[in-house]
Amino acid sequence: MQEQSTESAPENRPEKIERDTNYWLSLEHYAQDPEFLKLGSQEFASSPLKEGEENAIERRDFLKLMGASIALASTGCLRRPVQKVVPYNKQPEEVTLGVPNYYTSSYSDGVESLGLLIKTREGRPIKVEGNPEHPNNKGAVSISAQASILNLYDPDRLNGPRKNLWNEKRTNKDTVTPKWDAMDDEISAQLKKGSVVILSSSISSPSLRSIVSEFSQGFAAKHLVWDAHSNDQLIRARKMCFGAETLPVYQIDKAKLILSIDADFLATFLTPMAFSKQFSKGRREIEKMSRLVSFDSTFSLTGANADLRYRIKPSQQLDVVMAIFSELEKQHKVVVPAALKNTLDEYRNRISQLNMDGKIFAEIAKDLWENRGQSIVMAGGIATQTEFSEGLFCAVNCLNSILGNEGKTILERPAVASSSFADIKALITSMTAGKVKTLILHKVNPIYHLPESFGFAEALKKVDMVVSTADRIDETSQYANYIIPDNHPLEAWGDSESLEGVISLQQPSIRPLYDSRAFALSLMNWGFIAKMGPKRLLAYETYYDYLRNYWKEDVLPKVAKGQNFDDFWAQALQKGFVGSSRATAGKNSAKLEMLSHYKASESVGPELVLYPTVMMGDGSQTNISWLHELPDPVTKITWDNYASVSIAFAKKNSLSEGDVIELDVNGKKLELPTHIQPGLHDEVIAVAVGYGRTKVGRVANNVGRNSYSLVSDQGIFSGQKVTIKKTSRKEKLANPQGNQSMEGRQIVVEATVAEYQKKKSANIHRHHTWSIWPGQEYNGNKWGMSVDLNSCTGCNACVVSCQSENNIPVVGKKYVLEGREMAWIRIDRYYTGTPDNPEVVFQPVMCQQCSNAPCETVCPVLATVHTDDGLNAMVYNRCVGTRYCSNNCPYKVRRFNWFAWNKKIEAPLNMALNPEVTVRIRGVMEKCTFCVQRIKTVKNTARLENRKIKDGEIKTACQVVCPTDAIVFGDMNDPNSAVSALFKDERAYALLEEWHAAPSVRYLSKIRNNGEEKRHSNSEEHV
Amino acid sequence: MIKRKQLVLGNKTLVDITNDICEPVESIPKKGWITLFLGAKTLMIFYFGIIGYILANGIGLLGVNHPIAWGTMIVTFVFWIGIGHAGTLISAILFLFRQKWRTSVARTAEAMTVFAVMTAGLFPLLHTGRPWLDFWLFPYPNQRGPLWVNFRSPLLWDVFAVSTYATVSIVFWYIGMVPDFATLKDRAKNKIRKIVYGALSLGWRGTARNWSHYEMVYLLLAGLSTPLVLSVHTIVSFDFAVSNLPGWHTTIFPPYFVAGAIFSGFAMVITLMTCVRIGFPKFKDYITIDHMEVMNKIIMTTGLMVGYAYTSEFFIAWYSGNVYERYVFVNRALGTYGWCYWAMVSCNVLLPQIFWFKKARRSLTTMFIISIFVNIGMWFERFVITVTSLHHDFLPSSWGNYAWSFFDGCILFGSFGMFLTLFLGYLRVFPAISIAEIKTVMHVGKDGGHS
Repeated sequence: MQEQSTESAPENRPEKIERDTNYWLSLEHYAQDPEFLKLGSQEFASSPLKEGEENAIERRDFLKLMGASIALASTGCLRRPVQKVVPYNKQPEEVTLGVPNYYTSSYSDGVESLGLLIKTREGRPIKVEGNPEHPNNKGAVSISAQASILNLYDPDRLNGPRKNLWNEKRTNKDTVTPKWDAMDDEISAQLKKGSVVILSSSISSPSLRSIVSEFSQGFAAKHLVWDAHSNDQLIRARKMCFGAETLPVYQIDKAKLILSIDADFLATFLTPMAFSKQFSKGRREIEKMSRLVSFDSTFSLTGANADLRYRIKPSQQLDVVMAIFSELEKQHKVVVPAALKNTLDEYRNRISQLNMDGKIFAEIAKDLWENRGQSIVMAGGIATQTEFSEGLFCAVNCLNSILGNEGKTILERPAVASSSFADIKALITSMTAGKVKTLILHKVNPIYHLPESFGFAEALKKVDMVVSTADRIDETSQYANYIIPDNHPLEAWGDSESLEGVISLQQPSIRPLYDSRAFALSLMNWGFIAKMGPKRLLAYETYYDYLRNYWKEDVLPKVAKGQNFDDFWAQALQKGFVGSSRATAGKNSAKLEMLSHYKASESVGPELVLYPTVMMGDGSQTNISWLHELPDPVTKITWDNYASVSIAFAKKNSLSEGDVIELDVNGKKLELPTHIQPGLHDEVIAVAVGYGRTKVGRVANNVGRNSYSLVSDQGIFSGQKVTIKKTSRKEKLANPQGNQSMEGRQIVVEATVAEYQKKKSANIHRHHTWSIWPGQEYNGNKWGMSVDLNSCTGCNACVVSCQSENNIPVVGKKYVLEGREMAWIRIDRYYTGTPDNPEVVFQPVMCQQCSNAPCETVCPVLATVHTDDGLNAMVYNRCVGTRYCSNNCPYKVRRFNWFAWNKKIEAPLNMALNPEVTVRIRGVMEKCTFCVQRIKTVKNTARLENRKIKDGEIKTACQVVCPTDAIVFGDMNDPNSAVSALFKDERAYALLEEWHAAPSVRYLSKIRNNGEEKRHSNSEEHV
Repeated sequence: MIKRKQLVLGNKTLVDITNDICEPVESIPKKGWITLFLGAKTLMIFYFGIIGYILANGIGLLGVNHPIAWGTMIVTFVFWIGIGHAGTLISAILFLFRQKWRTSVARTAEAMTVFAVMTAGLFPLLHTGRPWLDFWLFPYPNQRGPLWVNFRSPLLWDVFAVSTYATVSIVFWYIGMVPDFATLKDRAKNKIRKIVYGALSLGWRGTARNWSHYEMVYLLLAGLSTPLVLSVHTIVSFDFAVSNLPGWHTTIFPPYFVAGAIFSGFAMVITLMTCVRIGFPKFKDYITIDHMEVMNKIIMTTGLMVGYAYTSEFFIAWYSGNVYERYVFVNRALGTYGWCYWAMVSCNVLLPQIFWFKKARRSLTTMFIISIFVNIGMWFERFVITVTSLHHDFLPSSWGNYAWSFFDGCILFGSFGMFLTLFLGYLRVFPAISIAEIKTVMHVGKDGGHS
């Protein structure tokens, strides 16, 4: 690739970034007069036409124009404008055109911190992958971390700081771009007046934490940490039980039995990537696989993966734990203090109302007791943020304590409880009273996250100066005096500390795209200008210098005492992290007595459950089309949130899919379309949060409804009483999955552990297939893939990775409804069992790269052909678009470009495209290629090094991010390859084997550790 | 001796026949025709506008989606190709079987064939994702390196089948008209007509030598067209039958499609002929109620054949023991598109049974209504085959429904605009009945001659 420099016309030149204030045009310019700045952004101060007369050109002007046009015309005739093409004449170090560079970095959403590898091409990041060396995520990478690349290139980001031209009533929303110096002077002058509050979400960066605390020290500012989804109740409950504010560090791979009460640890609770990795590790050896029991008030991803799942409503969470206590007592395993005995008696009545077989608790209690020290009981997430949550968390802690899990399967790390809703209320009160002079908002969006009744927006207007670091004019920052956009994490230096205590570095992989500035540097600058704050804050010119120094002074002594700093730094950059998990065994000292004052209370009628999705999280990073088009792992619905209700509830209230209902939660109302969700408790209405942003950008504005408006003033998310009113409207929900049941076909094969022990290939019906054609011979490589359905949790990480790797377009809700989604890999989710309380199986389906590919024979122009290494190649250039291949594909994995999606890619989003993969034009078919570009890259490297390709050297995009290592790719011609071994595994089967397309993908059957003898086999009627 | 019914009524003289048949060509059109033509032409222009819009924006404007990658365009293509079958059957096969009654309807039926094939022929070209590259489907020496067409693909066979059929039908139709063009030239009263029809008549002088050559060519072309009647729809059916999709992959498809094509073709002939009889009352003497009755018998027969195929498919689906195939057929009758299936069965199998009654066979109103229903039913048949098989195939996760849109409707109805414009133009430009041939089946002499 060559860099092109064009002698462009002035208007094509990028807007000049003016930072130099040594030169000024006029006094108004010097004074940064807003009117002047507004004028400055206009091209012409006045019209070239003579004033007053239309179409009048003065004689002189006429002659000038004529002369100029003749000159232009004559030069125009001579030659085209000169366009100089200049290659890198000084090649940047380590950049080879066409060869990707990987940089270690990290990503944090405040709680979960992931080690990353950023793939860059020609100096621009194109893909986010996990750092396989990182001790926490070990290569797994969450959906939001992967999608953050689109956030970097979001066209709706601010391209520089903004100053709001407030009028008297602060209703005006005109903004201008201020000068940095003048802005910093004004802000630091304001800061000097005191009464400064910094409101931020959890900061996982130790260096930024240190800067904020030094800044706060300097300006006597108050730092409030507030997260929309906080774990502070969890932390406080651990303090109550064990004496110190800590967060649990679960060792899921060490547990034989995991009991989750609405803790969606595979999707959103604490560190789901690390948990998924550990969970799959604990289940890899089937004879010793762990058991997951889930009490679920939504249909969570964790519930979907549970061996045993029971549906409850939020107010029953505590009842479940108490039921287990009383069972343990009944079975004489535990001696319960007398005070608690009475409480337990109270709960016994409630247990009968759980509508569950009483034996369940006896069995779970027995199971837990047998696995004491090797089990985990957990509860958490916003679905557990009810009025009983303190009791729930304490009960869970006590249960873990008496089971001896604390210190064995549950370690801990010190944590600081963030601000509660009460603290925020106090802040709002003092803001309203005018006691806050300056408010600095960092990575928070309270106007979106708080219900309107809190009155944050009104309170904000009473603050003298509001400074926001948002990267866009969002719901909250629209009311800020100054918006100083923070750099995107991919543009900035930084560090982050994981929950387990591993500290990672965050390297910038691209220069900031816009005129933005790191929040840390802003604080440092203001401190410097005002000359306030400790020496360390004022001593450095850039955040990078501060960071290095911080690592020298604070990090190095902690993790590698005595090492030379420069070596340490270089190593840290290369590895991406330093140190290892620093979680420690806590005191196993919870006192059961404390539970006695959590009295049982009656709860009748439908309850609200709010839950985060893997796509949206708390809604802070939502202007990303990939995330909206990604189907919810369980419901499979895209582009919306909705009120999920059970089948019985829908029947009772005569609701059908898509009926818009009005939820009324203590007077707070919200209209949402209904989704009938099998497996929900009959008195639950579950609504996802994170939707309904109004000022985030063109992708996500007004997608779904903001269900944070239903949060109570006490910060209670779930378990609130809700009444519904059916409206006459109907809204279509875009679900790309056509049918939710396997219809008795052998698609996902399941067996119980007992069946597996009898016969490893249990429930797999093998077909006798034969052909008069001996088949194609593959002399070199023959690529194959295996997918372990027992490991796959259906988390969707592979879908996003594929989308990023292969430049897969997003089509939008309208076209998802019309069946035009483009995903090359999809995760099919089927319900099995009874519709009221079904179980779930997941199956990732990509192109099966059939050896007898039905698609190949029917293409009239040979646009899809077989390669000699067993791939089913798609030649985009040759495709005319008859779509016959798609009709003939039994797996329906082919995707067609119904419209010119490629023309919808708006700059700078084109920078996220992978240059190794063709961007397809309208009218061509596309499909999974087994990441042929990755195969070619490794093949070329191996050829250059004159060696064979090593097993595992090629990793497809779906495989590389998979948190459970369910996908294995390799050469089937190599008898020692991992994939060859898996193909021979007795659990392996080919999808639609009897159709004899001879696919190159094998699925390994799913095993359920539910203690049952026999699987209610779905494929019984399958012949 | 059984006395045959007369094929031409009204004791016509040879001059009467020439005058009668030439009249529409030589007179100024009346209000009725002009209204119809303007309507049809407007619809055709609208149709081309819609096609242009689809070409500019993408085939996604139609309801085709994932998993139903073929939709209205392919359905309507098969529909029109099917219509095209009656013409060649009447003119070629019935000619070889010496069915003299064919003479009166052959010309118009052939015209219908040509126009139907023209209408149909657009669809396979337009339904592709990149229609500007459709020439890649034709195997001809080119400079695109080793790229060549895939002879294993039924779509390629389709290209050959349809293009051959179109060519042969046009040639056959045109050759048959040569003597009549000469007649028109001779009768022409202005220079332009003389030149145009003169050129079209290829210097026909009506000599014995001319006639001898003409009849030989006509016979040869009839022989050549006969296998085409069977092959075109057989090959169109291969588009479906050769794939591996349950509901498509059926060995009965070739005969089933051919029978269906003849069925729908004759229905369209009936529809058009009843209209022609109303528009040109003099033609009633040539296209008699006896002609119509014969065609109604064919409709009933082929309708029964189609009905047999419907039943047989269900039996085979059950007998195969294949779960996917069984499911597709149960779903065809009882699923989302069950109403299409039952519309098809009632229109194609149940309604034509009325032709068991002679009165119905000879009632113009009845036959017109039935023929319209048969055409509707046959469109639904193709819709049922294409869409219901695709919409619920192997993996339930991929199931989906056709996203019928405004543009689907425009394409379907607009294609009638194109067909009718061509057909109405034909009625005024070409002699709609073979002047030369009809004279050979006239009722001559006291006993009616040798009809």
